[in-house]
Amino acid sequence: MKKYFITLIAITLVTFAWVSCTDFPVDEDGLLITTRGQCYVGNFELLGADFQTVRTKAAVIDTTAQTINVEVFFGTDLKNVYPQFSLVTDAKLDPKIVGKVDFSDLANPKVYTVISGNRLVKKPYTVYVTVQAKP
Amino acid sequence: MQLKHYSLALLTILVVFFTACQDEEYALPTLEGGLHNDCIKRTLGPNVVGLNIEFAYAMALPKAEGKILSAQVEASIAGAPATYMEYRSFSTNGSGVDVPVTIGSPSVNSGTKTEVVFSKDTCAATLRYYYIIPEEARGKTVKFTFSAKASNGQTVSYEMGPYNVAKMDMKLDLVLSDNNNSYLSIADMAVYNAATAATKAASIDLVYLYRTYTTATFNHALVAPAASPDYKPGITLPAGVINSAKIWKVWALRDQQLARLQYGIFIDDLDFQQLDFAGAPDYAINLRAEAGIWVETADGKYRAYIYINKIDNTKKEMTISIKRYPMQ
Repeated sequence: MKKYFITLIAITLVTFAWVSCTDFPVDEDGLLITTRGQCYVGNFELLGADFQTVRTKAAVIDTTAQTINVEVFFGTDLKNVYPQFSLVTDAKLDPKIVGKVDFSDLANPKVYTVISGNRLVKKPYTVYVTVQAKP
Repeated sequence: MQLKHYSLALLTILVVFFTACQDEEYALPTLEGGLHNDCIKRTLGPNVVGLNIEFAYAMALPKAEGKILSAQVEASIAGAPATYMEYRSFSTNGSGVDVPVTIGSPSVNSGTKTEVVFSKDTCAATLRYYYIIPEEARGKTVKFTFSAKASNGQTVSYEMGPYNVAKMDMKLDLVLSDNNNSYLSIADMAVYNAATAATKAASIDLVYLYRTYTTATFNHALVAPAASPDYKPGITLPAGVINSAKIWKVWALRDQQLARLQYGIFIDDLDFQQLDFAGAPDYAINLRAEAGIWVETADGKYRAYIYINKIDNTKKEMTISIKRYPMQ
């Protein structure tokens, strides 16, 4: 009886040890690296300092040309806006958005790179902002 | 050894069951003798000069022991002259309506004290106390001592506070209009027309305008006099009106004291202290009702929150309420 009991405990311990040591790959940000190779932007939003949208209409995302075209209201303070990207599952963005971003240099559009879930595909998206015409 | 363990476990289970099943007999509480009192603060939010702090002070003693003679409040800083204590005791009826019962004569203020003398033979009352915050209390703390006297010679007292009194000022319902009073001074917390603005040029911080275009969204705007002409089309500023305020647009910050709506949001001194105006623009266009702006005056002397209570496209008007904090 005692022998069975010890065997059972030993099996349980080994199982736990094996499970806890199984390694799931994570990247430098601690995010899970998956098998997904898709790499695109699904949606793009631009919020003003008051966290309200500054877009006049939906942003046009071209996943082939890897561009995002967005028109903002006249008078938008482009030095203080919050971009929001909706990415395909498991993908991530580089550089990370950690607060307000300055989009005021319209001649030099910002570029964000989408990195796929498997971290093997990288696609740079250029964000072109245009301002509603001056009255 | 095994038997010993079983016995111990059995004993533990029995003890747990015995304890759990013990029934406590309910007994009617016995009435405690003597005069007693209690107090609650009814107002919420920052204590701003000119507004009131409301308390409900309750006092009672058993009927057989006597009646209440008087109730008094002593504030650490004398309230403004309008400070008073209710001479009616309120109870809330089944419909939620406060029903008053007169218990004495109207309160009398004497220095820091406010007193109500009872004339009705009553052994229990709850009186409201409205402390109107005086200018002397700005930026200080204030505390209160509530007390009551009974005919049996007993007295009781209850301390409330200390409460911080805000340094900020408040002004409600200023009406800006596109073709008349379109100049706003944060320092004066007032609106002026162009002629008056010319005489107070140094204190004009913002210009209100309303414009509609088919090609762009402009609508109601508050812009600093120094803003780009793009944001003040058709405006010819009076001579000397040149200030450059910093402005952050805000949405849905419906301060209860400014908006007087159901939202439990309050802007306090601390909010002004922690604002960062680095990189802020000097204009805010396309403003809507229930939105607002944080503003810092050009000289850095004041920070303010301007809440938009109402906009009227037909009259080209905007009704605003302001909280202003002195930074220096």
